[in-house]
Amino acid sequence: MISIKNLHAEVEGKPILRGIDLEIPDGEVHAIMGPNGSGKSTLASILAGREEYEVTEGSVTYKGKELLELDPDERACEGVFLGFQYPVEIPGVSNLYLLRAAVNARRKYHGEPEVDAVEFMQMVQEKIAHVGMSMDMVKRGVNEDFSGGEKKRNEIFQMLMLEPSLSVLDETDSGLDIDALKVVASGINRLRSPERSTILVTHYKRLLEHVVPDRVHVLYQGRIVRSGGPELADTLEEEGYANLETDEAAATS
Amino acid sequence: MSATQQIEPNIDHYLAEYARVERDLPGSDDSKRERSAELTRFSEAGFPSPREEDWKYTSLQPVEKRRFEISDEAEPVALDELRAFLPTDLDAHRIIVIDGHFNAALSSLDELPAGVTVRSFADYLSDNAGATVKAREIDEEPGSLTAMNAAFCTDGAYVETAANTVLDKPLHVISVASGVRDERMTQVRHRYVLGENSQATIIEHSVGLGSKAYFANQVTEAVVGRNAQLTRIRIQQESERGYHVSSFFAQQRRDSRVFNHGFDLGGRLARIDTNARLVDHNAEVHFNGVYAPTGRQHMDNHTKIDHATEHSVSREQYKGVLAGHARGVFNGKILIQKDAQKTDSDLSSDALLLSDNAEVDAKPELEIYADDVTAGHGSTVGQLDEDAVFYLKSRGVGEEGARAILTYSFANALVQKVGIEPIERYVEAAILAKLPGGRAYVDLA
Repeated sequence: MISIKNLHAEVEGKPILRGIDLEIPDGEVHAIMGPNGSGKSTLASILAGREEYEVTEGSVTYKGKELLELDPDERACEGVFLGFQYPVEIPGVSNLYLLRAAVNARRKYHGEPEVDAVEFMQMVQEKIAHVGMSMDMVKRGVNEDFSGGEKKRNEIFQMLMLEPSLSVLDETDSGLDIDALKVVASGINRLRSPERSTILVTHYKRLLEHVVPDRVHVLYQGRIVRSGGPELADTLEEEGYANLETDEAAATS
Repeated sequence: MSATQQIEPNIDHYLAEYARVERDLPGSDDSKRERSAELTRFSEAGFPSPREEDWKYTSLQPVEKRRFEISDEAEPVALDELRAFLPTDLDAHRIIVIDGHFNAALSSLDELPAGVTVRSFADYLSDNAGATVKAREIDEEPGSLTAMNAAFCTDGAYVETAANTVLDKPLHVISVASGVRDERMTQVRHRYVLGENSQATIIEHSVGLGSKAYFANQVTEAVVGRNAQLTRIRIQQESERGYHVSSFFAQQRRDSRVFNHGFDLGGRLARIDTNARLVDHNAEVHFNGVYAPTGRQHMDNHTKIDHATEHSVSREQYKGVLAGHARGVFNGKILIQKDAQKTDSDLSSDALLLSDNAEVDAKPELEIYADDVTAGHGSTVGQLDEDAVFYLKSRGVGEEGARAILTYSFANALVQKVGIEPIERYVEAAILAKLPGGRAYVDLA
């Protein structure tokens, strides 16, 4: 699905990513963990195409295409979805309006006709049920006056509507109560299939109890210092990130 | 000799033009004398100059240097040419004025409720010996362009609602400049007289069709009786070479309400003065306005709300969206006189600059002489939220589309206050269509 090679990136001259190598095969869910400031969100933002970050070295190949050469909207149309750590509020643009614009942009990109209004509303009805949102909520402005948990549900709702090939979820599990966490987890599991992959950027093991990842990677100071199976999350939970400095030394040598 | 004096004001041209058309202007001999006095007022004052505080940012030189003429008759315009300006599914009575002349064939005024009069302003003047061009009840702000209109006005809409009547459907008044002949002017005047407890909704729509330069000078006077309610929706879509000046004066009696919505989308230059005088207790006025100049358009909105007595309420919100090399001006004056205790007033002005070359001068102006009042005001000028732009792009919407959607959403809050869905949809689409990349999103609105 996606192949990241020797990715270096900086923001305002300050190096954040210092050589990331990551392969995510089709159908797999990979978790990326690590302490604050390790570069997790930077990685997610670069994959989605945020412009504040400058890639200084390396490459990202997504479905055989140079991902970094595509504009953010082209990436979205190619099937990349970013679940935002801090979803933006856009009063005056309803969630429905945004989604119709998004669905149609995708269809246009692939040379397909616009979505039929009835079909679209049926899809909305079906998907909001999965995430426990009401029709009233989706008619409101994008994330307008939504609680933290509602914003994250809305991210998952959008993901379900857009059915991406690659979902990059940036701390979608942060700040959620257990009910909302379960909604987020079931949304992710619902899309799990041999042709879709997911990158879960997370601080907490809690999400990984509901979405069991194929691989767990530990990011530290801009590098992946350790990779393993789901059990690695348990190890991190027990040991914390304290031992990472030795791993970092080992990775460098 | 200073630079401004070198420009020949062409006042003589308008004196000669008045002499040419006077015989054909509607109204009694008395009203001709009234017109003639107004002409003198105009010729003595001349066109407003940027040296006047109220015209500091708007130069009428392009108007002043031309010699506009009254059209003796309207150019032929078919209803089909106006289709684009008829909001889909709008159920309304209709008055169409072309090149300053009422067009009965294109208008539709059937089945008006008893007690409600809707007719051509020219007919009203011609049929009533005592009719005056200017409403007697209203003390207009002195202004040379309103005087010019009083002298030259050829036609418009006249609406009168008797006590306890309701104009059953909105009245859509379209003033069309055919733009077929060069340097024509339209001097259109509307008057609304709302009796006690009556109610009317009127859409004043100014449109331009052709490619020739023209000057549209319009005045609307509204006398709003006790506990009456007027909703006025002004949509300005003059053509690229249209110069538009319009003034609105509302005189509000006790317990009356006026809702004024202005949407400025067209014209090379537009100057709009919107005034309400709340002369009796518990009157309420709402001014909402959206102006969206692009390219080299210049739009100037001046408003004045005069609270003269106790317990009146005003709410005013203006939003500007400026692109290209556009220029916007907003000046909102709230006057709270010394007897206007317990006035409750709020004014806000927000502008969104979509380009580095666009410019806006926005100024709320509060003059308060009473001591027990609530008067709030705020003014912002900003750019689009780049995080929101990225959010939309990350969902697949292109750069231009994302900016168009966000711009539209900024203005949309005021569009939604109109309360008539076909009009809201029409205005939304018209705003979106003006924005780069916005046309693709019109159908989603």
